[in-house]
Amino acid sequence: MTEERTIEVIEAGVMPYADALDWQRQLAADRIARRLDHDVLLLLEHPPVVTLGRNSHAAHLLRPAGVAVFEVERGGDVTFHGPGQLVGYPILDLSAPPYKQDLHWYLRTLEHALIESLGILDIPAERNPGYTGVWTRGKKIASIGIHVKQWVTWHGFALNVVTDLTYFDRIVPCGIRGVEMTSILKEQGAGSREQLWDEAVSAVVNGFETAFGVSLIPCPEGPARRGHESLRTRAVAEPGLQPTD
Amino acid sequence: MATKVHMEALSPTMEEGRLVKWTKHEGDAVKSGDTLAEVETDKAIMELVARADGQLIKVVVPEGSTVPVGNVVAWIGKPGEKVDGDGAVAPAAKSAPATPAKAPPAPQPTTAPTASIAPADATRVKASPLAKRIAREAGVDLKLVQGSGPGGRVIKRDVEGAPVAKTTAAAPAAVPRATPDVRRTGVPYEDVPLTQIRKTIAKRLAASIGPVPHFFLTTEIDMERAAEAREALNKQLDEEGGKISFNDIIIKAVALALVRHRACNAWFQEDHIRYWNEVHIGMAVAIEDGLITPVIRNADMKSLREIGAEARDLAGKARSRRLKPEEYTGSTFSVSNLGMFDIDQFTAVINPPEAGIVAIGTIMPKAVPDGDRVSVRKRLRVTMSCDHRVIDGATGAAFLKTLKQMLENPLAMLL
Repeated sequence: MTEERTIEVIEAGVMPYADALDWQRQLAADRIARRLDHDVLLLLEHPPVVTLGRNSHAAHLLRPAGVAVFEVERGGDVTFHGPGQLVGYPILDLSAPPYKQDLHWYLRTLEHALIESLGILDIPAERNPGYTGVWTRGKKIASIGIHVKQWVTWHGFALNVVTDLTYFDRIVPCGIRGVEMTSILKEQGAGSREQLWDEAVSAVVNGFETAFGVSLIPCPEGPARRGHESLRTRAVAEPGLQPTD
Repeated sequence: MATKVHMEALSPTMEEGRLVKWTKHEGDAVKSGDTLAEVETDKAIMELVARADGQLIKVVVPEGSTVPVGNVVAWIGKPGEKVDGDGAVAPAAKSAPATPAKAPPAPQPTTAPTASIAPADATRVKASPLAKRIAREAGVDLKLVQGSGPGGRVIKRDVEGAPVAKTTAAAPAAVPRATPDVRRTGVPYEDVPLTQIRKTIAKRLAASIGPVPHFFLTTEIDMERAAEAREALNKQLDEEGGKISFNDIIIKAVALALVRHRACNAWFQEDHIRYWNEVHIGMAVAIEDGLITPVIRNADMKSLREIGAEARDLAGKARSRRLKPEEYTGSTFSVSNLGMFDIDQFTAVINPPEAGIVAIGTIMPKAVPDGDRVSVRKRLRVTMSCDHRVIDGATGAAFLKTLKQMLENPLAMLL
């Protein structure tokens, strides 16, 4: 008899990109070495940062000045992370059921989870064949880029909740020219930032349960910092990060 | 013993992966579990992990290359260890520049080097027995050795001084004897880019003969009565214009036989078989640089005259490339006729998703037993290719039997 797979959800609040990168690499190494006996989903927010995936082209970074740039091991091209964006890093061991040793299955199921989540928020979302990620009404609302070693995953997705979308003007998101980014706030038209964030987090948790067929349980220690607290910090964006035109 | 590192599948359907980055390099020490390289698909990166301890002694593929799953990308072994012969990739790649990798240079008839170094009779070389033995052992081609003995005879010292020309190296000299029908233009070969239609043919037919389990059934049909019927009909049609060809009669007979054998009038689909209640016959037409299969819809319900008119119209459009998509798609079964090329019989490749095709040979007079005598009769060999996922041997044979009956007794088509 097998126990039902669960994913521990850790809401980590605002965390600098480099710290989060170290953390998820460590968690993945522990998972591979079986020092960590269960899967984890990190949910957090980053200060403004541009990351370059393995498939990045310098030309897709239009105005690199002013924002920290990281070159990382995930798949995909350039993307932006910043305040108001819900970033999820699932550390999952795909080698045992209900998961599959199939990265395409994993990418598609991540998309499915986000589409389910947006459905809960009454936002119609879909895949765009050939362009990994989640789209709504022709605009991109969530990005995906993953990394796998010995079938343990890290990196993950970035869902725009109340993101300042002008940041994306600095890059060609995911290397797709002409793509327009959107957010839950923009699609809903209105809503308090705190409320939208909390709704987004619980929708993502539910979406994961539906798409992956597992239970998500909150971290026993409780969330490190609540997401909505972090939102206040976004007012302190450095002047150099403001869109230039 | 060195260990191979293979390209791994990131998903069960993946056939090749792009190696985006080597994280270890030749000469680096590696432990089992260390990441050697990163492989990419879509927006996912997977680490290729060492499964042995030692040193990365050989990297076979460069960053950025796309490699079929299962191919060797690197070797792990002891420092200084050489990759064995099986690792052909490495040694072969290294020696490549030394051998004439490009096509052999065009033979220059005017300078013909063979004339100066080979005796007049190139097939028989005059050589001393000792020279012959040394040449054999050393791999020297005697035809390329200038003899300094009496009468141009090749002797021992000629062979010893000759460059060792192993069979492979000697090959260019042998080339001029090949392929008589090729025009010698001074250029060794011509690369012709694939036209769109040739690409489509390549893709579709490879998608057929590979995954579709073909089997073939051949029968010989007596066409005497069909020929008589055709002659009579054409006599009558002379006044009205238009002519009935054997091809029209065959298409009609195939269509009517399919009506009675729906099991052969079917498409194989991924998870189901679609049995058609309409009969649309694809008619393979040779066109310049390729073939296309225009469709005679509801051929079972059309008269021979209608089929004839439509077949000629479609064939004309096909040759001038004016077919509309709806005129060459949707066939439920196909007919390929090489009768005009004096082909006794042949096998045709199924046009997927259809389950069958008949290949029509040439109607030719043959001696056939006729009671105690032998008579000469017009005979036609028809070969049916069947997709065994849809049609079994007996099913295909029953269809062919009906087709044979219809053509041997054209009146049966009226039933």
